[in-house]
Amino acid sequence: MRARLTTLSMVGPALVLFVVMLVVPVGLSIYLSLTDWDGYSANPAFIGLKNYVNLTHSAEAIRAGWVTLLIAAVGTVLLSVLGLGFALLVNGASRLNAFFRIVLFYPHVLSALVVGFLWSAVLGTSGVVNGWLTSKGSAVLPFLSDPKWALASLIAVLVWAGFGVNVVLYLAGLQTVPKDLLEAARIDGATKRQTFFNVTLPALAPVVTVNLVLSLVTLLKTYDLVVSLTGGGPAGSTQTAAYLILWDSFHNNALGFGSAQSVVLMVITAGLALTVARLRARADQGASA
Amino acid sequence: MATLQLKPWKTKRWGRIAFLVLTSVLMLVPMYLLVVSAFKSQQDILAHPFSLSPDQLTTQYLKKAATNPDFNIVKGYAVTVLFVVSVNVLSVALAGPVSYVIARRSERRYRMLLLLFVAGTFIPSQVLVIPVVYTLKFLGLMGTIPGFVLFETTLTLPFSIFLYAGYILTIPASLDEAAAVDGAGKHRVFWSIVFPLMKPAVVTMVILNTFSVWNDFVNPQIILGPGSGLYTVTTGVYAAVSQYSTDYTVVFPTLLLAVAPLLVVFVLLQRHVISGLTAGATKG
Repeated sequence: MRARLTTLSMVGPALVLFVVMLVVPVGLSIYLSLTDWDGYSANPAFIGLKNYVNLTHSAEAIRAGWVTLLIAAVGTVLLSVLGLGFALLVNGASRLNAFFRIVLFYPHVLSALVVGFLWSAVLGTSGVVNGWLTSKGSAVLPFLSDPKWALASLIAVLVWAGFGVNVVLYLAGLQTVPKDLLEAARIDGATKRQTFFNVTLPALAPVVTVNLVLSLVTLLKTYDLVVSLTGGGPAGSTQTAAYLILWDSFHNNALGFGSAQSVVLMVITAGLALTVARLRARADQGASA
Repeated sequence: MATLQLKPWKTKRWGRIAFLVLTSVLMLVPMYLLVVSAFKSQQDILAHPFSLSPDQLTTQYLKKAATNPDFNIVKGYAVTVLFVVSVNVLSVALAGPVSYVIARRSERRYRMLLLLFVAGTFIPSQVLVIPVVYTLKFLGLMGTIPGFVLFETTLTLPFSIFLYAGYILTIPASLDEAAAVDGAGKHRVFWSIVFPLMKPAVVTMVILNTFSVWNDFVNPQIILGPGSGLYTVTTGVYAAVSQYSTDYTVVFPTLLLAVAPLLVVFVLLQRHVISGLTAGATKG
């Protein structure tokens, strides 16, 4: 009995907080998504799946969904490829490599909000780059004012700010590549390319999975950078799902509809992350074998 | 033969360094612009963004940003540091014991408990913040410091518990058994035997939590709200910058004041930051 109380006192506080601040709100979100709540009325009407049906007709929500998926897909590929590429380039214990690692990683320390404001001052219509182009007599470039350019700029800034993390994670993975296998491949006369694809990459499999899932989950949440870099514009072209959810919930007072979008985003995030993890399971097993 | 082998190797080496130097320049240019522009006039920023002529530089805009009536930056630092410290202390105090139980017990329900906590990582916090507002209102904690700290602490639990539980598995259970034989209770065993050995994992989490609490924007913006008068560094920057986004003599000095402390901390601790993240990754 006493042992039970002790265990309870160790598990209880964290579990209670987690349930109150996370499990209950998720449940509340699901419930609210079935109502027409505006955030004020005392008795929101239960409207069943109507918000979800409306969601499939909402051009704005569908566009935000595609924009988010595009950012997540393109961003995840770029982060992983650049992360691994640069990890291979700065692997090895020299002072120069240590310096490069810091330089590649430092934007991650800055808040996404600040990064967005900084880049909007650099890329904006009257920003630093365009000011400089004008002084040289060239035409300005629509980095943030043309829908296609703005989305590309957003992804580029996300990659600029984020790939240092992937570099660090891949560097950790490279420490686990068995030295004797590399040596054996070298003695057998394998080319650098063959060694990479047959020894290094399989050994990195678990880190590749961690990187893919982490990048995907992070990018699907993209919000702060949208607020400070593009404000969702021009003409809504860079509105992400997280941006639209908060906009609908707090500016349009459509909390029921916002909650329905939240539930869909949660399901998609968990679904994609688990799918990637499952697809990678075989590669991971290859690494441990 | 020897020279033939040396030559391609050498060009490749210099090619690698040249490429990395070029990339570093690309990475650092925005930071360079941020620093030099904080000391320039609007006209100078736009006409000669990259120039650095000492006679043109002035600290007048930086002083103005530091005393901005919209955003008291010193108070912003103080409030943010208070949050960072509270969240870290609370996170370790809550996540430590539960991770210990999860790591040391093999029953199915403790594995399910770990899964429940870890599932929390998939929930985007921006999505969560809306229903959390109503939960906090119900508890009477909306717009308060305890309400914000409790929610922010909750967000740290999934990854902390995952990391700590994994780390505790590498600490031999015979150590706790010896202490238990000597008559120490479970809490005592955890805090005086196991916890000191968890230092690397705890340092990693403290660093990660510090960055995420310091840089968080949505949660303080919505939970503390503009009405509460409580600004963190990021929500303060938002209030100060978003309405003057084309007045670069406001934007750059404010951003510089916002990032300077964190960048200084990062440069001083960079070895621990990067190795801490690395430890987290390989354990994960």
